[in-house]
Amino acid sequence: MKLCITSTGTSLDSNVDPRFGRCPYFIIYDTDSGTFESIENASRQAMGGAGIQAGQFIASKEVVAVITGNFGPNAFRVLQTAKIKMYSGISGTVREAIEKYKSGQLTETSSPDVESHHGMGRNS
Amino acid sequence: MIISVASGKGGTGKTTVAVCMALAAEQCQFIDYDVEAPNADIFLKPEIKNIKKVTIKQPYFLTETGKSFSKCAEFCHYNALAVISSEVMFYPELCHGCGGCILVGPEGAVREKDVEVGEVTKGFTGPGIDFLKGNLTPGSMRTTTVQNDLEKMIKKKDLVIIDSPPGNSCSMVMSVKNSDYCVLVTEPTPYGFNDLVISMEVLDMLKISYGVIINRDGIGDSNVEDYCRGKNIKLLIKIPNDVEIAKCYSKGGTLLDYDVSYKAKFQNILKEIEGLCSKKP
Repeated sequence: MKLCITSTGTSLDSNVDPRFGRCPYFIIYDTDSGTFESIENASRQAMGGAGIQAGQFIASKEVVAVITGNFGPNAFRVLQTAKIKMYSGISGTVREAIEKYKSGQLTETSSPDVESHHGMGRNS
Repeated sequence: MIISVASGKGGTGKTTVAVCMALAAEQCQFIDYDVEAPNADIFLKPEIKNIKKVTIKQPYFLTETGKSFSKCAEFCHYNALAVISSEVMFYPELCHGCGGCILVGPEGAVREKDVEVGEVTKGFTGPGIDFLKGNLTPGSMRTTTVQNDLEKMIKKKDLVIIDSPPGNSCSMVMSVKNSDYCVLVTEPTPYGFNDLVISMEVLDMLKISYGVIINRDGIGDSNVEDYCRGKNIKLLIKIPNDVEIAKCYSKGGTLLDYDVSYKAKFQNILKEIEGLCSKKP
């Protein structure tokens, strides 16, 4: 079973990035083998629709859940359609987030957390 | 001759100046290019003749055909489309109406329809001023599409006065790009000065001549004036910071209502600009 965690860096000790569509990296973690790969988020620099593009990409990766800080409405709709579970409001390291997921401490998100264009700050 | 009135900083008095110019000229075409917040009609009080809708083409997807639209989603540079197995999610606010999805998608299964993004209003103020304004539909992002329709209605033979939107982005470029001369309105404050210099950079790139009007003269500092002197940029007029002007404005009055001598002052400015433009090769 594969999980996707939005990350500020390429390792399990990197912090969870608070943005879904515009995070720098996705960490795809395989709970069966305990292995992971980090993928640079190509949608990060999109002019618009970053969450939509990132959502489609993650759906193609056959993950069962996405763990991040916030989901915007567009990304939420795409992931919901793809029947991927969403967990938001998560901070700390990627490793901690995975542990929390495994021990059942995370609650599924039922609605978008932020408005469109949330992650488009100047320095993001 | 086309004269645009622009300003990097918002609220410096573009509309005040543009309206005053139109009234001083008596005979002209006046176009409110600030389609996101047009307000010149408050002061020019035009009689409206007709309103025309502005539309763009947007795709819709015949999902009942059972065909795959994933190529369309892959193609869409603006991420306006997501396709997850048989589900098609279209985000119209991101669609630029380029028609690419029709070309790459399953034949006959992607169609186009007209979507309203705004309207163009035509009218007249008194016998001499042809009035035109654009209105963007709330929620739409197609500012320049509405401006494009305004552009098609420019009567180049007449004197044309364009009231530009604030800022220095696409919508400002659209409104100044055809001008023979641009009047930059600013206030003598650090904000006004900073944004004025950016506007000048834009106009230099577009090779459009310009002059400066300082509004609310008396506040702030002398940086704008010193800069214009140093760079030999024409300072057309200074309008004082006067609460009576603001009071007049708040009731829909113009500079001419406040002090009729502004009519002659602006007629002189128009003559001056005409002289500057006719000297150009």
